[in-house]
Amino acid sequence: MSLAAEAFVSQLAAAEPWPENATLYQPLKEDQILLSDHASSLAVQAYLRMCGLPVQVLCRVNSEFMSPSGKIPFIHVGNQVVSELGPIVQFTKAKGHSLSDGLDDVQRAEMKAYMELVNNMLLTAELYIQWCDDATAAEISRPRYSSPYSWPLSKILAYQKQWEVRRKMNAIGWGGKTLQQVYEDVSQCCQALSQRLGMQPYFFNKQPTELDALVFGHLFTILTTRLTSSELAERVKSYSNLLSFCRRIEQTYFEDKSS
Amino acid sequence: MAAAMELRCWGGDWGLPSVHTDSLIVLAYAKFCGANVTVSPIDWTWKTITASVPELFCGDSTVQEPAQILNFMRKQRLNADYELTARQGADTMAYIALLEEKLRPALLHTFWVDAENYANLTRPWFASRSPFPLNFLVPCRHANIALSRILLTKGEAPLHRISEMEGKIYSDAKECLNLLSYRLGAAKYFFGNSPTSLDAFVFGFLAPLEKANLPSSPLLSHLRQLENLTGFCDNILAAFFSSDRPYG
Repeated sequence: MSLAAEAFVSQLAAAEPWPENATLYQPLKEDQILLSDHASSLAVQAYLRMCGLPVQVLCRVNSEFMSPSGKIPFIHVGNQVVSELGPIVQFTKAKGHSLSDGLDDVQRAEMKAYMELVNNMLLTAELYIQWCDDATAAEISRPRYSSPYSWPLSKILAYQKQWEVRRKMNAIGWGGKTLQQVYEDVSQCCQALSQRLGMQPYFFNKQPTELDALVFGHLFTILTTRLTSSELAERVKSYSNLLSFCRRIEQTYFEDKSS
Repeated sequence: MAAAMELRCWGGDWGLPSVHTDSLIVLAYAKFCGANVTVSPIDWTWKTITASVPELFCGDSTVQEPAQILNFMRKQRLNADYELTARQGADTMAYIALLEEKLRPALLHTFWVDAENYANLTRPWFASRSPFPLNFLVPCRHANIALSRILLTKGEAPLHRISEMEGKIYSDAKECLNLLSYRLGAAKYFFGNSPTSLDAFVFGFLAPLEKANLPSSPLLSHLRQLENLTGFCDNILAAFFSSDRPYG
């Protein structure tokens, strides 16, 4: 949203505390949601749990169209609607909850840079694999994306989304890449994350930040989603400290709620 | 030693060896690692419309895109990142991603979409460096590519108009410049005392912005306030691209 709208929302947000009935919207979990959307949604859920903010997850077929920016997930808090991790982090900060206050300027610069790395490489690779790889698009992405709709709407929406994503890939120069090159890029990104994490529990030592939430969202989704080939998951699995990082966050923030 | 390498790129002006960001990145890296690269500018040739710039020729192989070219040079044992630790290498990747996501859209907008800059600086420059009749086509093509890239990557439905995104693009870019400034601090280069690929990337992005005589640019005024970044660019220009050897 534009700058003026953002400033207005922040001001409104600061006025009220976090309500009990905050909700997060995403597409249907079993049938409709795709890899990249699930990763983004899980990242936001992890972030909110790390902040200790209660949120209820609602699955709606038309979440993508309800969202103010067209992207999943979005949260409905009080009478405001905010989508995507970046604006949601700013929104919660305006309400007084923040995970990155303890960082100094250089660390904050690093954190933002690594978040852009994940968005630039992992998210783009996920989109590429889902929509530009013909086998995956035909077997998984198009059927799933259009599952709630009847013919001919299902065909139209699925192809429109595929066309949009392919246009974007061409614009940023990923259109000419092969699948192997994309897997290589994912490996390099995971290697960078693994080296940055090292033996620490979180990226900035003791406390989790939004970077941890984002990395967890993407890696956990890649590890637990079944695609036409398991090479993507295998590439991530080869970094053991990333695996234990995902397991640790899952146990700390997700398992105590379900048991 | 490596075979002879030839780099095809846009020519230079405003005190820079090249005005094109990607070409400048490759030229800077070649200087940092002491590579022997012959530069063939594509100005005034038909390559302005046919070639994808920058492009490196080495023997039989051709490489495009700055990241691929830098990888290729590293494989030829021309490695400016040799002394970096694994973690510094990871930081390099992260900061380059930050530049691409936050700074590139604003630079594209400043040079190619902003009407005043485009009409008074960018289009005349590129048109004057292209042979007839390409001088009508080349600037338009670049401007269209730039605009569609910004709209596709930053455009959020239903805000498909560029005017609504300008504020966001520029505020992201200013934040990116601030973050780079914090990271550089008072040091001469980003990692230690010798320049690396991250320095090449930052130089390639910032130098055209700093040196071109842009008629209107809020981003440039912001950059000028960050003295360590302007000092960084001037330092590299003086050390590696002094006027008596513009291409080395």
